[in-house]
Amino acid sequence: MSLDVAFLGAARQAALIRSKQLSPVELVRTYLDRIDRLDGRLRAYITVCRETAVEAARRAEEAVARGGPLGPLHGVAFAVKDQFATRGVRTTAGSRILSDNVPDEDATVVARLTAAGGVLLGKLNLTEFALGGTIRFPFGQPRNPWNTEHDTGGSSAGSGVAVAAALCSVSLGEDTGGSVRSPASWCGVVGHRPTWGLVSRHGCIPLSWSLDAPGPLGRTVEDCALLLGIIAGQDPRDPLTTRRPVPDYGAALTGDVRGLRVGVIRELTHGPETDAEVRDAVTAAVDVLATLGAEVDEVSLPLVSRAGAAFMAICDSEGAALHLPWLRSRPGDYDDGTRRRLLAASLLPAVLLQKAQQARALVRQQLLAALANHDVLVAPTAHRPAPAIASFTAPITSKDEAAARFFTRRSFTTPAALAGTPALAVPCGFSTSGLPLSLQIIGRRFDDATVLRAGHAYEQATDWHRRRPAL
Amino acid sequence: MAELTEDQVRALAQALDLPLTPEDAAEVTHRLNAFIEALVPLAELPPGGPEPVPAPIDPDGV
Repeated sequence: MSLDVAFLGAARQAALIRSKQLSPVELVRTYLDRIDRLDGRLRAYITVCRETAVEAARRAEEAVARGGPLGPLHGVAFAVKDQFATRGVRTTAGSRILSDNVPDEDATVVARLTAAGGVLLGKLNLTEFALGGTIRFPFGQPRNPWNTEHDTGGSSAGSGVAVAAALCSVSLGEDTGGSVRSPASWCGVVGHRPTWGLVSRHGCIPLSWSLDAPGPLGRTVEDCALLLGIIAGQDPRDPLTTRRPVPDYGAALTGDVRGLRVGVIRELTHGPETDAEVRDAVTAAVDVLATLGAEVDEVSLPLVSRAGAAFMAICDSEGAALHLPWLRSRPGDYDDGTRRRLLAASLLPAVLLQKAQQARALVRQQLLAALANHDVLVAPTAHRPAPAIASFTAPITSKDEAAARFFTRRSFTTPAALAGTPALAVPCGFSTSGLPLSLQIIGRRFDDATVLRAGHAYEQATDWHRRRPAL
Repeated sequence: MAELTEDQVRALAQALDLPLTPEDAAEVTHRLNAFIEALVPLAELPPGGPEPVPAPIDPDGV
């Protein structure tokens, strides 16, 4: 099977399987071969479901031969962040603490992807407990396919790597404050944080109950729309999922953005923290949207610079409360970076947490006010291309260094997380050093379809998504 | 709010029965002081803003 099939989008693969032009067994074997060849270096996977994937693909092939109705993901090889429970398959959350954890049921999102005909290829690497800041990954250091000395973004690190390196058709991540969009950005793929409450969290090992949002990563916007349509919608096992009907996200991808009102977030696009190459790429992307007929202007969200610190106070406090028993009983089993982050959050004064909650409400208010006059807002997904891995592993020696390392970059992805709005990361160029750059598109709550429509129109007008890392 | 010293952080951790090693204490102190520096200015935010509800739940949508 040619290299092209491995890099095809999941939606296209599904169409070829339905028309008997592509064998699910050959597709799975293609990915298994690539994993064998490349993943020793990239470390996208924690667990590869080799035998069960081939067997599921064989059953999928037989179903195609029999005829009859097939699910929208029939025969397509997906992989999920190892934060999602999988029946009979070890689920570690990237931690030694859960190295022997074998769930007896699937997370709702995994069950829905399987019911749609998807073939589970394996469990993907992540920063420990999806927290970010892992210094020594218990299951190997994930590496960026575009330059293996550089970081992948996280926490859904393997989900970004596996899609970028064509080690699966499409993947699932979880975005608490950017954990889908960050690896999508730095690995040069598409990632979508759905509206909070649109996708069930049942079976997802939690980090922050008020922020966690499972979401898809793919090589195209169409693939993310396909997965979102499968995983979205009410789940009785997650009482905070919406009762709203799930739209046809694929039908929203019309390519037409004429009259779409686009607001460019000034502080994130032109602020002092934003790398010049990132700013130029995002500005050029906005020009493309304008050429396609969108109405573009600039908006100011003065509080976004506070978003990173407010987010970390809330997210880390919620996480620390969950981890308190293990912090006391098994502190040495955490990575140093994880343990120190959880310890700091455990000691945060309550009055500061309340200030962070107030900041969250104000950031949300500013974002939603801007979206009252715009269909979408745009900004960089990350303020710089992927840094070298070593830059994240050095000890922190001052409070200024802690703020720079943890708060600054998170102020780009956390406004949408704090507001519970959908946000999409789409490739929009490359740095002079050959690393991917990314446009972020933020929309109104439960209007994921417009976000995907804008991203798809931009994607189809450019060719960034067609480029492949030299592996 | 003043910056915390490493000794104060150790005392806080001990009071909460949290295991803080000497290797962890310095970095946890830097992290806490970064939080304090970033969040204390929020006290100057105008009162009477939107209520800080913990999650963006839509009454008509959930």
